[in-house]
Amino acid sequence: MTALLRLVGTGGVIAYRALFNWTTPAMFVGTLLVGPLFQLLFFAYLGRQLGVADDGFYITGNAVLAASLACVFGGTMAVSNERRFGTLGHVLLSPRSRTAVFLGRVLPYAANGLLIAVTTMSAASLLLGLRVPLDALPGLLLTLAVAALACGFFGLTLGAIGLRFRDVWLVSNVSVALLLLLTGVNVPAAGLPAWMRVTGELLPITHAAEAARRLVAGDGFRAAAPQLAAELAIAATYAVLAALLLKVFEAESRRRASLDTL
Amino acid sequence: MRTLRMIAVGALLHAKQLSRSPFEIATALIVPVVQATLAVYLFRAGGEPGRLLEAAVGAGLMGVWSSVLFGSGGAIQNQRWQGTLEMIMLAPRPPALVVLPITLATALTGTYAMVATLAWGRLLYGIPLTFADPLAFAVAVPGCIIGLGMFGLLLASTFVLLRNANALTNTLEYPIWLVSGMLVPITALPGWTGPIAAVLPTTWGARAVREAATGSGPVWPSLGVCLAISLACLVLGAIMMTHVERRARAAATLALA
Repeated sequence: MTALLRLVGTGGVIAYRALFNWTTPAMFVGTLLVGPLFQLLFFAYLGRQLGVADDGFYITGNAVLAASLACVFGGTMAVSNERRFGTLGHVLLSPRSRTAVFLGRVLPYAANGLLIAVTTMSAASLLLGLRVPLDALPGLLLTLAVAALACGFFGLTLGAIGLRFRDVWLVSNVSVALLLLLTGVNVPAAGLPAWMRVTGELLPITHAAEAARRLVAGDGFRAAAPQLAAELAIAATYAVLAALLLKVFEAESRRRASLDTL
Repeated sequence: MRTLRMIAVGALLHAKQLSRSPFEIATALIVPVVQATLAVYLFRAGGEPGRLLEAAVGAGLMGVWSSVLFGSGGAIQNQRWQGTLEMIMLAPRPPALVVLPITLATALTGTYAMVATLAWGRLLYGIPLTFADPLAFAVAVPGCIIGLGMFGLLLASTFVLLRNANALTNTLEYPIWLVSGMLVPITALPGWTGPIAAVLPTTWGARAVREAATGSGPVWPSLGVCLAISLACLVLGAIMMTHVERRARAAATLALA
């Protein structure tokens, strides 16, 4: 058990450092901290001007969404960068469980996503003047962590698809754009058609954003718990789906000798 | 005349090259449409169904800006990765004249975003494409695109100086959408953003296109200011590009990322 935890934890951190050796503090701050903050401000001002919802709605929703960029792309990179750097074959030759190896990789991305979400929410609350009840903070932190984890596993699922389809970045880019539209973060769910609402229910962020909004509104953890549980179930579902797809596509790529095909 | 021909042929060449990337095409096909859909539902949720044309036009302009931003930001880096940067810089023409077609091509491919969002809005949401001044709209859109292409040259030359240009391009998308009033009126923003908006060609370009579509004001002065600022950007970009090229040659760092 200790060996498995070490594989998941230490393996994930080492892979994170290796696959992101090209990044710099400027890139991190510009892309992952400042970018989501401006995205939040854009929608907050637009929503304010159109009278769709108050600042709290946009701050909370977009703070949860802020984790998605790092986690979805990170999860995708966890698989596709191995292929790009020519090291995927070495990983798949490992005698250890590849499921554990890849699932473990999501943890650093989720931690990163949590940091981004917390930073975005704090900065936006200061700039736009949102007051969050102190007793809601632990629940809010948990909600953001679960959302980041769900986005990470969602990204890993997309990364697994990348073992079969070459243009995985296209899938990631479109998925991130769709999260903006379908998760009810910027348009209240009631304003969306039924099929969009149903699709949104199956995506990460939707339930976490709702849970976070209840916590910020001061409704208490009990009111947010069902939505939080739903987000956790979404995270677990994507984790299982990612593990399954990785297994199937690994076998497929070995059979077709297409492992390193770019 | 030869210079204009070179710019036109260069822009066409780079537009063709951009059109060979399945990733670029598919992203350009889908993302603006998603943004237009988001804008339409936001305006509907806000009880502003009468402003849906404004939403579609705004979303289209956002797409044009994204194309210019990422295209110009990556212009030099892409040539470097393709191994063609040295050849471009060796051309017996000022470097700005060689890079300008690249940034114009990115703006040109960005026009798709405008066409797509309008067509999407018309076909799916029945938004009537009744422009207040169709002729002015037909002039304002290409005028705005040419202006943004020239602004792109300044961005491209600035990004040559920065090792982490990607960080800046990833950051600049939403602020320019916001400050330029592409969807959010500038009057809804804090007062200190006003001077920033006033010096951006994107603000005046977006204003001209919106005025042509909705008839909310005189189009030509806005388009004129957009082109004047863009021209200033072109001159600045050209000076900076020459300076950067000489420095890179002297330091032998042209091919280094």
